[in-house]
Amino acid sequence: MEQLPQLRALRERKISRRAIVRALGAAGISLVTMPLTARRSPAAASDHATYFTWGGFDIPEFFTEYVAKRGELPNFSTFGSAEEAFSKLSAGYVPDVVHPCLSDVPLWSGTGMFQPIDTSRLSNWGDVIPELYDVPYNIKDGKHWLVPFDWGQTSIVYRTDLFDLQGEESWDMLWDQRYAGRLGSLASGGEVWWCAAIKAGVPFDQIDTPEAFEKIATVLREQRPLIRTYTDDTTSLDTALATGEIVASLAWNSSAIELKRQGVPVKFAKPREGALTWVCGMMLHAQAANLDSAYDILDSMIGEEASIFNMRDYGYGGPNRKALDAFTDIELAELGLARKPSDILYAGHFALPQPPEWEQKMNQTWEQIKLGF
Amino acid sequence: MTNTDLYRSRFGRLKALTGVARQRGVWRTYVLLAPAVCLMIATVMFPLISVVVMSTWSVSGYEIVKVSSLANYIEIASEPMYRVLTLRSLSVATLATLMTVLLCYPVAYYLAFHVRRHKSLWLVAMTLPFWTSYLLRIFAWKVILGYEGLLNSALLGLGLVDEPVKALLYSKTAVTFVLAHSWAAFVVMPIYLSLEKIDRSYLETAADLGDGPLRRFWRITLPLSLPGIAAAFFMMFVPTLCDYITPAMVGGPDAMMIGNLIQAMEGPMHNHPGGAALTVVMMLTIGLSGLVFVAVSRLVRR
Repeated sequence: MEQLPQLRALRERKISRRAIVRALGAAGISLVTMPLTARRSPAAASDHATYFTWGGFDIPEFFTEYVAKRGELPNFSTFGSAEEAFSKLSAGYVPDVVHPCLSDVPLWSGTGMFQPIDTSRLSNWGDVIPELYDVPYNIKDGKHWLVPFDWGQTSIVYRTDLFDLQGEESWDMLWDQRYAGRLGSLASGGEVWWCAAIKAGVPFDQIDTPEAFEKIATVLREQRPLIRTYTDDTTSLDTALATGEIVASLAWNSSAIELKRQGVPVKFAKPREGALTWVCGMMLHAQAANLDSAYDILDSMIGEEASIFNMRDYGYGGPNRKALDAFTDIELAELGLARKPSDILYAGHFALPQPPEWEQKMNQTWEQIKLGF
Repeated sequence: MTNTDLYRSRFGRLKALTGVARQRGVWRTYVLLAPAVCLMIATVMFPLISVVVMSTWSVSGYEIVKVSSLANYIEIASEPMYRVLTLRSLSVATLATLMTVLLCYPVAYYLAFHVRRHKSLWLVAMTLPFWTSYLLRIFAWKVILGYEGLLNSALLGLGLVDEPVKALLYSKTAVTFVLAHSWAAFVVMPIYLSLEKIDRSYLETAADLGDGPLRRFWRITLPLSLPGIAAAFFMMFVPTLCDYITPAMVGGPDAMMIGNLIQAMEGPMHNHPGGAALTVVMMLTIGLSGLVFVAVSRLVRR
């Protein structure tokens, strides 16, 4: 044991300079060599692409094809809202694959941070339902910016036992004075602003006008005192709904599915004014370092298995046509889905891309409203 | 050793050091200092200056316009939102800090005067909450303060309330409590150190001269521990003033603080220059509250 005599020497103040240098040198060498040995562990993380996605999609079930091919999972990092993801990317974060929504494509692709996707490298591309990606702003020189992965609705999840529904389901439920302090909401402007537009009766093609801004801001200011919490953390919202702390909330399909599975009496409302509908998917970063692995991520996620899991366990639509065959029409209706996505997407209000100035102004106004101004 | 002796010996050591420097060439001192100075410039001065420079720019859409003006500061001065949030942050941080100091003083006192054996064990135990992440600690508080949480279940079980108390979570009270718990160790340590340093013979002398325990505390212990209290106050007040995670997680819409606005400006609002200007304003606010605090403590000491 070398250490003990050295400690004693230190205590007796007899340690020599040479001994100190030797000890420091040893510490330095061990520090430098440590990462080398750690790297020898099987998960050589640098060979895999990084997938920057919404919390909840970072699980093995979406990557069975990927794992079958490459042996282990890709790297993940997560975000809570598209705005958050966008500001991290603008600040210089470079993942390989990112998960925005179709309506974000013009803004995101305009930054030069992304590259169009070569769909010929995707073995499952032939099974992807075209109406999910075939919009003019998603195409650049015959290639697509975004490969669709999930589609669904943003609507109201409410407790059927605690919320006394009078008349039809409607967006008015989230403005119900009787439940002041017992309503919840998502926090991101990309969701809330559009839903408020539906509530205020603003058609989406007129959302970029000063009058529309004023109208939407007014209904959101009206709603704020009724809201217990704004959060993009769906777990917090689900928990609050399960305990009855809140009785209704703005939410996505998955919240209703998750709560029902736990035996909580909830319903995903079909508001008479129509729900907010969306398609989201993957974009490829222009500086993606692991392109092969990135394409394998895309291919795995548009595969049949991933789609079935997404529909059954999360209640979001999958992009794979074959996956729909695993469900009966009744099952699909229960999940809030349909065999033809456009039956759902265009029955509701589909979010449309807006110019950067609009996005900027909307987020500015919304964040201020949330803070109470 | 009296204070002057201490001063002299320190000064002597400093003199010896400079002597060495002169002997071996002044450049050697600079070389030795260089790494620290470079690190300071790279990690403190450079970011600080860039924040100040950026605070004079503006945004148009998602582009930053690099033209200097005071527009951001004028907006901060004229819009009531900034004032309201700053005042709220000041009041929450002050309240939380005062509460923590009051709660932690007895702990530090006990540690300094009554714990004789295993003192280091006690000190380590004090830092135990810090062994988990800040975020996890806040989450733990959500479990305690929640609608069906520990506290509400207890109150319901005891029949003290008929339905869960909603004000426990998502309120300014919740933010204050969670902050107080999160920063407790930072408050205990400086107070403990200043109490530990107090010469016990002063207390014995006071006892000999007929002072009771209360008067001894009031006339000797408390005044001598004031520097520790001041340090503790600052250690906690400065970081809590611009905290944003705690209000974001346990404060409802009405308990948001200035840190949340800065975060929103740097994030979804994409207004980095505005966020930078607000940061500069908050640094000045902290400096100003420091001056106020020093003035008040001088007044108290008199």
